[in-house]
Amino acid sequence: MSALVRGLVAIVVLAGAAFFMGDYHNDVYRKLLLWVTLALGYNFLFGICGQVAFSHFAFYGMGAYSIVIFLFELHMPFPLAVLAGIALCALFALAVAIPSTRLEGFYLALVTLALGQLFIVVLGEGGSVTGGTGGIANYRLPEFFGMRIRGPWYTAVIVLLLVFTYAVVKRLDSSWFGRACRAVRDNPEAAAAMGVDVARTKVIAFTLTSALAGVAGMVYAFVDNTVNPPIFGIENAFLLLFMVIVGGAGRHAGAVVGAVLLFLLPFWLSPLVGHHHALVFGVLMVTAILFQPAGLIGLWDRFSRSRS
Amino acid sequence: MQDFLELAVGAAASGCIYGLIALAYLLVLRPTGIINFAVGEWAMLAAFGGFLTLTRYEWPYPVGMAVVLLFLFVVGWATERVAVRPLVEKGAPILAPILALLGMLVVFRESISVSFPPDPMPVPYAFGIGRLEWGLLGGTYQSFFIIAVTLAVFIGVWYFFERTVAGKVFQAVAIHRRAAALMGINLSRVTALSFGAGGVAAGLGGLLVAPNVSAHYLMGVPLAIQGFSALVIGGVGRVEGALLGGMVLAFAEQLTVRYAPIPSGYAQGVPLLFLMIFLLVRPSGLLKAKA
Repeated sequence: MSALVRGLVAIVVLAGAAFFMGDYHNDVYRKLLLWVTLALGYNFLFGICGQVAFSHFAFYGMGAYSIVIFLFELHMPFPLAVLAGIALCALFALAVAIPSTRLEGFYLALVTLALGQLFIVVLGEGGSVTGGTGGIANYRLPEFFGMRIRGPWYTAVIVLLLVFTYAVVKRLDSSWFGRACRAVRDNPEAAAAMGVDVARTKVIAFTLTSALAGVAGMVYAFVDNTVNPPIFGIENAFLLLFMVIVGGAGRHAGAVVGAVLLFLLPFWLSPLVGHHHALVFGVLMVTAILFQPAGLIGLWDRFSRSRS
Repeated sequence: MQDFLELAVGAAASGCIYGLIALAYLLVLRPTGIINFAVGEWAMLAAFGGFLTLTRYEWPYPVGMAVVLLFLFVVGWATERVAVRPLVEKGAPILAPILALLGMLVVFRESISVSFPPDPMPVPYAFGIGRLEWGLLGGTYQSFFIIAVTLAVFIGVWYFFERTVAGKVFQAVAIHRRAAALMGINLSRVTALSFGAGGVAAGLGGLLVAPNVSAHYLMGVPLAIQGFSALVIGGVGRVEGALLGGMVLAFAEQLTVRYAPIPSGYAQGVPLLFLMIFLLVRPSGLLKAKA
């Protein structure tokens, strides 16, 4: 019960903040919330289940493109379009995960890297269906009961998405499935000996988090009211990985801290380094792995422990 | 037939490039168990090295090539020193150095993107632009040069591993690290040399392909994907597998582009398709490791 109350308070506070912001800050805030949502989902896959994948942004894009195409080119009703989009993401995730998680090692990383790269190519070559390199624009969120959600109210929708994603990963993490994922990450042989089906655990974790990314993509589609290939490029998949590592892999708070920090960093860095903040991120990530593998949240733990 | 033979020479040359990148993965993977995501960026660094030495300063080709490959050896060696050795010495899980190398990938790429303008940079051909007709086979000088150099490299590597004591040391580490260490083999030196050699193999691939695609800071990731696909197709157990896998992949790509009625961009899907099929049907690759 108290979890429900805390969730409601979080929704009210996070969504309420949007009503005190101008258009520009609302836009930045929305993107921040989306990054945090993505980082939470990716943290479950990478931090908790130990799977390195670069397809998270491809699924984000698949969600965004599919809802736009289903709604405005195939003219599906809204609920059907949402379900079809999720099903599409889940199917693709299954098709990728089943072959690549059968083996030990980091096949999933390379396969998803190839998928992420190919996704951009398919979007660019997709002709009138995907709008080619220019993408699709000039569409609007359909009306529900004669009303159209806009402005800060749409930010509130993103807050709902974030809290929903958090609830899902939190719930999964504390279930038997979360423990199975951690066991698979830490020692696959021991996990198998304890009766965990390693390959199936990996496939389910990958499919679930990819579907979550797809849902986030659907919400994103109506943030800028345009979808185009560069938004979903492989660079962003790297950035997501960096966020989780710098923040502290395997911890929900770490994912949030990492996402907020690395999202806001370019705003402060751009006067100093221009568009080259990716170099700073790369150095930051290597430094984190070498000297602080538990990430920023690990630093905080050490600090609070030494105080008490 | 003429058309096919023309295509075969070009495809064989691309296959050699993929084979060299796959070899770079293999040289690091076998003794250490680490998949080095940065090999594509090493190839990219070599392409820019080629631009600097051969295009800007107009050094003779063999001198420029030697300097670039020496530089790549140092890069590989330094990468191991900075991003891998501290983690191995700490006893970190194997994922840690792999992620650190991933970070290095971004560091390499962004360093180049900061230092050079974003346009593709020209790198010259080894023997200029020209065609060589050899019986029915015909192709550019560069294609034949790539094939000759790659064959020499693979024969050399094969000879090293199979016929020399130093090569046997590497094999021993690849088969069982701890047992090799107990036999008095210096593991950290073997690891450092593996990374250096991986740097040279990837660098050679990058330098040879650069005239065809021009040096560009984004050229690394596609090469890394193609090289890895070649590795999976050929099998990680044997050195020859890298070259065989590269050939299979390159022919599949070129035949798709030439004869399948789809946009040429989709050729990038061929490696992914092969990865999937081989992971499902034959995860050990075409060549099995020797028992």
